[in-house]
Amino acid sequence: MIETQDLRKEFRDGRTTKVAVDGLTLAIPPGRVTGLLGLNGAGKTTTIKILATLLRPTSGTVRVDELDPLRDPKAVRHRINLIAGGERMVYARMTGRENLWYFGQLYDVPRAVLGPRIDELLALVGLTGAAGTVVERYSRGMAQRLSIARGLINDPAYLLLDEPTLGLDAPIARDLRRVVARLAAEGKGVLLTSHYLAEVEELCGHVYVIGDGRHLTEGSPAELTARTGGHRTVRVTVPGASPEVEAAVTAFAARAGTVAGLDRAGDGALVVSVSHPGEIAGPLTMAIVGAGGTLAGLEVTEPSLEDAILALNDAAWLVTA
Amino acid sequence: MTDRCLACSLTPEAEPVEHRRAQAGGGLRHTAKVFRAEALKQHRRVFGSRLVVFSMLVWPLMQLAATYYTVRPLAATPGIAGRWPLAADPERLLAFLATGALGFTFFFSLVQSAWHFSFERVTGTLELLFLSPAGRLAIVVGNGFGALVQNVWLFACFMVALFTALDVVHVAHPAMYAVVFLALLVPAVAWGAFLNSLLIFSRDSAFLYTLLDDPMWFAAGVRLPLFALPVWIRVFGSVLPLTGSLAVVRGALLDGRTIGELAPTLLGLGALTVLLTLGAVAALRLGEANAQRTGRLRLF
Amino acid sequence: MLSPPLSPHVIRATFWRTWTVTRRAYPWSYFVGTLMLGVFTVGLAHLGLAAIGGGRVAGDFVTATGSADYLGYVTVGAAAFMFVTHGVLWAGKALIQEQREGTLGALLVAPAGRLPYLLGFAAFAFTAIVLEVSVLLGCAYALGVRPAASGPGDAALAILVLGVAVFGMSLVLSAVMITAGEAHITQNSVFLAIALLSGFTFPRRYLPGVLQWLGELVPTTAAMDVLRGVFTTGAGPAPGRTAVALAVGLLYVVVGLLWLPRAERHAMERSY
Repeated sequence: MIETQDLRKEFRDGRTTKVAVDGLTLAIPPGRVTGLLGLNGAGKTTTIKILATLLRPTSGTVRVDELDPLRDPKAVRHRINLIAGGERMVYARMTGRENLWYFGQLYDVPRAVLGPRIDELLALVGLTGAAGTVVERYSRGMAQRLSIARGLINDPAYLLLDEPTLGLDAPIARDLRRVVARLAAEGKGVLLTSHYLAEVEELCGHVYVIGDGRHLTEGSPAELTARTGGHRTVRVTVPGASPEVEAAVTAFAARAGTVAGLDRAGDGALVVSVSHPGEIAGPLTMAIVGAGGTLAGLEVTEPSLEDAILALNDAAWLVTA
Repeated sequence: MTDRCLACSLTPEAEPVEHRRAQAGGGLRHTAKVFRAEALKQHRRVFGSRLVVFSMLVWPLMQLAATYYTVRPLAATPGIAGRWPLAADPERLLAFLATGALGFTFFFSLVQSAWHFSFERVTGTLELLFLSPAGRLAIVVGNGFGALVQNVWLFACFMVALFTALDVVHVAHPAMYAVVFLALLVPAVAWGAFLNSLLIFSRDSAFLYTLLDDPMWFAAGVRLPLFALPVWIRVFGSVLPLTGSLAVVRGALLDGRTIGELAPTLLGLGALTVLLTLGAVAALRLGEANAQRTGRLRLF
Repeated sequence: MLSPPLSPHVIRATFWRTWTVTRRAYPWSYFVGTLMLGVFTVGLAHLGLAAIGGGRVAGDFVTATGSADYLGYVTVGAAAFMFVTHGVLWAGKALIQEQREGTLGALLVAPAGRLPYLLGFAAFAFTAIVLEVSVLLGCAYALGVRPAASGPGDAALAILVLGVAVFGMSLVLSAVMITAGEAHITQNSVFLAIALLSGFTFPRRYLPGVLQWLGELVPTTAAMDVLRGVFTTGAGPAPGRTAVALAVGLLYVVVGLLWLPRAERHAMERSY
């Protein structure tokens, strides 16, 4: 388990002090993908770098399996690795296999383990065929996949993923998500930051939301969406709707404490959309039918994490503004 | 990308072998691994193109020829045997300048490799080195050693052939060849480690690079005997390990000095090597600590 | 609207841009670094002359150069070498620098000709180099060096001849660098080769015959002979050598101008 307690990181630049992380308390248990979402340049990367021993916190503590990175950095570094998306941090003059071998030596991976592991990682990221090619000749995506393999070379107990799918092609990003889910299922602790909220929703068992370096909220994606007043959107198509139907919908929405959206589709059909936290699809259709309308389509959209984060973001802006 | 077969060796057991090994120690073996890894990295960097033979052999030879022709009109003057006996014989003068070129190639190749190392800060790989548990000193020493061996072997072989052809080498004892070899290699590696440590945290590595090119050959007596230099330049030159290395190489090979006669120079060279290594350790500690505090991989 | 082939504002804009960028990016390290080779070469000659030569120089040197002033000879050579290397470096590296920074594409798309761009760069290089060489000559003057000169007109002619040689070489080198996608090895090889072949710090007569002939293939060799006539012996520029220097230099300019567009196309194709 990686645990932090009241983590704080200040950067001094001349006279000004910028607080990048402010009192964060996190837990990244093994066997789960933990999400870290941020608003307003929130200090996600700073947090990840602190966990990766690249930055030293100004105050607060970090424990990696009870180890203190400040006291025992080597042991901690053996247990973790970091993959930052969008950057190709590998050596251009070496081949894919040589890059992995090189980092394997830095991590002191035993020889008998390293060979098979390199083969496996190359297969994992689909670079088996390009293993002997120098990275200079790789495409951007290939180099990025190699850097993902590099991040797994020491078989880390904890994997820190900073925007890992940034800039990857969609199919490769999908495969990477599968791999991440699989790694967590096999017992690794994973910390994931991503701009793609669908990715976080799909993978993470628990999500921390931070803003301006401060903890805003946390929970499972489902909890977060529920707690931030996630609204279901009900959309009903009513062909040839009369003014009575429109009046009935408007009145219904007013009673439910919301506003109904009324649009005309291309064929003249009325498209009604109502957002509400509760189960309103039934009562809404009853109201429409009661006013003499007929239903041609009904669609209910569940609230997404994205909606929740956007709502949180708006709230955060209100607070700071 | 496929996720097949992930379980076979990626997670063979609850705690991977290397974690336990790290805890059990094994520092030397790990250091040896880092050395080998850095050697491969340097090999790929240096031999990325076949044109490398220019910088390894052709450049130093052209430079040596130009220097010889420039200095020759001064040596072929009346009374040279009194001012500088060695220069009275054109072949020995060439050998003197050739030893200078060889020593300079040793030490300057490390300036170059350090300069290249400083680019790892820009490409982001330096951060990966600090992410790893590998010993930092092992990395910078291994990097310097790898660069040195691969940059100088060709020119060194050529120089051995040249000295044999000129028939100017007269050593006091065959073991002096070993002394010469070590007097070049060991301080050079320490010099490389020091420069690597300094340059990876330096804001303006280009400046240090320039500073260590021309002033180094000038002050270390690469192209002139030390007695020709004013005292203040000799003082500056004495902090450069190249100066001591060249004194040993020339003393042993060209003047037939014994180890006893060279002992003071060797001691000074040893002290300088220790200082450079300590300097490297300090620069690495300060640099990494500073990077952890500021998030910037810079020392000054 | 297309610019005329030699549009002054392209020259001016290129000059200004390079000057500003250089001043911002390399404040002192650039200046100090580029000055050092010249200063140390003159310093080596000064110290060597006193300690090794005992203030005298070998007879074959006087025969070969027509002058017993060793220090003056080396100073003129060092200053000329500085002029040549920095000129080639500045103008020749202009395009490969653009290529590296990714602005080559933008530059090629702009409707300005190649020549004004390069002339703008050359103008910048010339200004910078005049400053650098003056400092070097100032140092040499302090050491007691007093080069001969056969007259201001001759001096201007000698510098012009060397300038043509430099411009021609930088065009050809630029094409080589862009084609090879490499600057470091090319430039150092060329600099070290001309240092040996063109006789900057020693008379070319010392070289084996083959190398003396090889030297005639680079424009700086004949240009150095012109320079020697003006600044070392004071006899004035030899008309034959001046003609050879200009002919070889202009040949390089023509070859460079014909080759550059091809090299650029080649570079653009290779990068994608």
